[in-house]
This record gives sequence, structure tokens and C-alpha cells, in this order.
Amino acid sequence: MEVLVTGAASDLGQQVAAALGHEHRVRLLDDREYPVPFGASACRADLLAADEVWGAVRGVQAVVHTAMPPADLPAAGLRREQALLEWYTRGTHVLLQACVDAGVRRCVYLSTLEIFRSYPDDVYISEQWRPLPPVQMEVLGPYLGELVCREFTADYRLGVTVLRLGRLEYEDTADPHERDLMWLDPRDAARACAGALRADLSQEVHSARRWRVLHVCAQIPNAKYLTQRAREIGWAPAHNFATVWGGKGA
Amino acid sequence: MAKKKVLLLGAAGLVAPHITAGLERYFELRLADIKPHPDGREQWPVDIGCYEQVLEAARGMDAILNFTVNRSHPVLSFTVNVLGAYHVLKAAVELGITRIVHTGPQMVISAYQHDFDVDDPPPRPGSGYYGVTKFLSNELCRVFARAHNVQIVCFLFNGLHAKPKAPIQGEDFPPFTIVWEDLVEACRLGVEVDAAAIPGGFQVFNLHSHQGHGKYVLDRAERILGFRPLEPVERLYRRPLG
Repeated sequence: MEVLVTGAASDLGQQVAAALGHEHRVRLLDDREYPVPFGASACRADLLAADEVWGAVRGVQAVVHTAMPPADLPAAGLRREQALLEWYTRGTHVLLQACVDAGVRRCVYLSTLEIFRSYPDDVYISEQWRPLPPVQMEVLGPYLGELVCREFTADYRLGVTVLRLGRLEYEDTADPHERDLMWLDPRDAARACAGALRADLSQEVHSARRWRVLHVCAQIPNAKYLTQRAREIGWAPAHNFATVWGGKGA
Repeated sequence: MAKKKVLLLGAAGLVAPHITAGLERYFELRLADIKPHPDGREQWPVDIGCYEQVLEAARGMDAILNFTVNRSHPVLSFTVNVLGAYHVLKAAVELGITRIVHTGPQMVISAYQHDFDVDDPPPRPGSGYYGVTKFLSNELCRVFARAHNVQIVCFLFNGLHAKPKAPIQGEDFPPFTIVWEDLVEACRLGVEVDAAAIPGGFQVFNLHSHQGHGKYVLDRAERILGFRPLEPVERLYRRPLG
């Protein structure tokens, strides 16, 4: 397949491109300059510009929307919140509408486990739990984007897998004084995208089955965020921060 | 007792002009909209896409009624329905306003049109601009109600119109349609109901005036808000006998 990867300029986008490049043709997308791995193609588009996005998705069979916001958004404050809100909601709508118009049937949307941060630590968090996003748009935005994706799976023959990613941190450089139950190595996040693309959910007759949510996180001892469901895409984390958590767990 | 001061956003739209006079029996209204009022009423010019304008219009108010909407534009639907709702919520929090009445379209008919006893199912707004943006605005309301001391009552509609002036023959009454008098009453209840009566600080109500089909029920609205249609409007659609 040819797979469009958004947020190509971000580290996560680059990791996803590398992971997918083994079995797919990769087309990268961002609104600014970025490194293009050997064998990948590149395009530039603003996710809020419908015409540009329409052109970017032509001819691909799948899209991985990393949902990494543009780097040139306002740094902080109300303007940033407003920009993120538009980017995550209208931007996701523009992208998915372009997918529908182009006949793209598979989409992977990267959200965040931060929407469960407010649950106490004595609870095992699985995909069954109600998201409780805060008002801050860095976390609320990706969740609202999930909701946009879901409505497209209800209306169209489009399969979407939402991967709720843990907090991205490389295992090699993780600070043991900042241990986080939600850590996820970006390389494992990228491999989860590869796994999520394998099934064509768009063929499901029942709309509820065209939508899938999976939690993706390092499996530390006594993990709070459970990821057993992600096994159905053949994924298991390779980087579990053993030198930080050891055998004791949280 | 002095009337509560209530900001009516979207005052010049398709709905608010029909309920303004009724609301003014109960509240001291501040009308606001981006376009001129169809009846020439004085109002604040407010672009809901501009936070600073929303904030200033809400200053000194006890509650906000948000009747703003854009139904079909690919960009403005998000600006008005999503960003606008965010601005209303943020302004309320900043100013200590603890009550908002939020509005939007029904989100159940497409999924449950063949069903009965449709009370409070999960919404299915669809991906169209109107439905999905208003659905996102409801989620914003839910999140803000959880995080802050603000209670939000959300009314969802299908049809809205005036009560027929005379009995109508040869027609069934429209489903999921509310008459203006009942909407005024619902808004009054939404503003005045005790905060403790709104579970979770955010509740959504499908509102209409015509009962009898057994399709869209009003039990929750009655239980939580005390809302029931002021008159049995469906009796205006009775078939004559004899």
C-alpha cells in the first residue's frame, strides 16, 4: 500500500515513516520542511486547507494521522488553545473528508492516553473506561479529533483505528527521577501503527466495527495502562523501561 | 426580586427572535449577535469567534443562553459552533458565571427513527458540519462542567415553530418539534433550576411539545428540569368524529 503519514516533520512522524517503510510505500506530509527517508515521497500541505489536503491524499490507500500539531502555532495562551482546537477538530474533519473523497479506506489516528490521567493510580485503565480529558487543548484536542473520526466511520465505509499513545519518551534517555506509568517509546508507537494498518476495517458491515480503539503503552511491572487489546494487531512493546522500573513496578 | 441578567447570544438568528419577548417576562436580557436584529431590537454586536467580544458581552451577566449556530459552512461551522462554544465556556469561567443554556440539533433521529421510547441514547450526529460541530460543542460543555463550577443545560431540537392558531385537519403532528412557548419555558427552567439538580453539571435534553407518538420521550426533562409542554399541542391535530 501507499500510506500517507501526517506530521512528517515531527520525531513521531519520522519514526512512523521508518517503521512503515519496511512493508509500504510511504508518502510524508507536513506544512514545513522535513527529512525524507530513502524510498519515501514527500508533500507539503496545511491540514486546514482542504484543497491542499485533497491533493495530498490522492492515490494513497491508507493514512496515518499522527495528529502532531504544526510547529508554528502560537507558543502558549488563548491563541494557542484556539489554534489547537481548530487544528484538531476542523483539521481532522478536512483530512477524513479528503480520505472519503479519495476512496481511502484505512486510517490510523494517534490520540493520547493523557485523557485518562485524572483517574487514580489504583485503577487498571483499559479501553472500557470513559475518557476524562482536561480543558487544556493539548489533551482535549486529540480526544475531540477521535470523536470526529468516529462519526466518519458511522457515515462511510472507512475503517479507523485509534491508537491512544502513552507519553512519548525514548527508553535510552528516560530520566529515572521522572518515572511515568504512561511512558511509551516512540519506536513502539510506530510499530503499533504498522500493526494497525494490517486489517481493513472498512469491509465491516456494522459501523461500530469500522471503529477500533487500542491503548498503546510500555508494559512495566504492575502496569496501570493495560494494552492486551493491542495484541490483536500483533503488537507488543519492545521497550519497557526495565532499567528505570526494574522488576518492582510502580 | 430583581430579574436575573441573561446574555442571549444569537439573538438575531432563526430561533431567538421568537422567544425574546417571552424570555423578557423572566429575565433582563442582553441581546447579542453578529448580524442586525430582524425586528430592529438594540443588541450588542458580538462575533462569537472573537473571545474578547464574548467576554465583554458576558460581563455582569448571571447566565448565558447560546443560540448561535452555523449549519453548513466548512469553516464557519467550526468557528461558530466549536470555537464559539469554547469562548462562551471560557468567558463564563473567567467571569464566574455558573449557568449556561447551550443549544443544538437533535442527534438521535438518524439512528433511532424507527424506534420508540427514545429517551437518552448516545448521540449519533454524523459527520456533516452541523451535527459534528454541535456534537463537539456538547463535549466541550461536558469537559468544562467537570472541570469548573459551571452548570450547562443543553437543549437539542429537531423542529421549532409557532403553535397552530386553529385545529389542523388531515395531518399528523410533526415529531420532535417544539413550539415557542415551550422553548421559553424550557429556557426559564434551564436558567433557574437548582445547580444540584443537574447531574454532573451537564445534561442534554431532547425537547419537543407534541406527545402521543411514543417515540421521543420527555421523561428526563420532566424529572430533572420539571419541563413539560405547557399545553397538549398535539390535540390541535385531532381528526373530527361524527
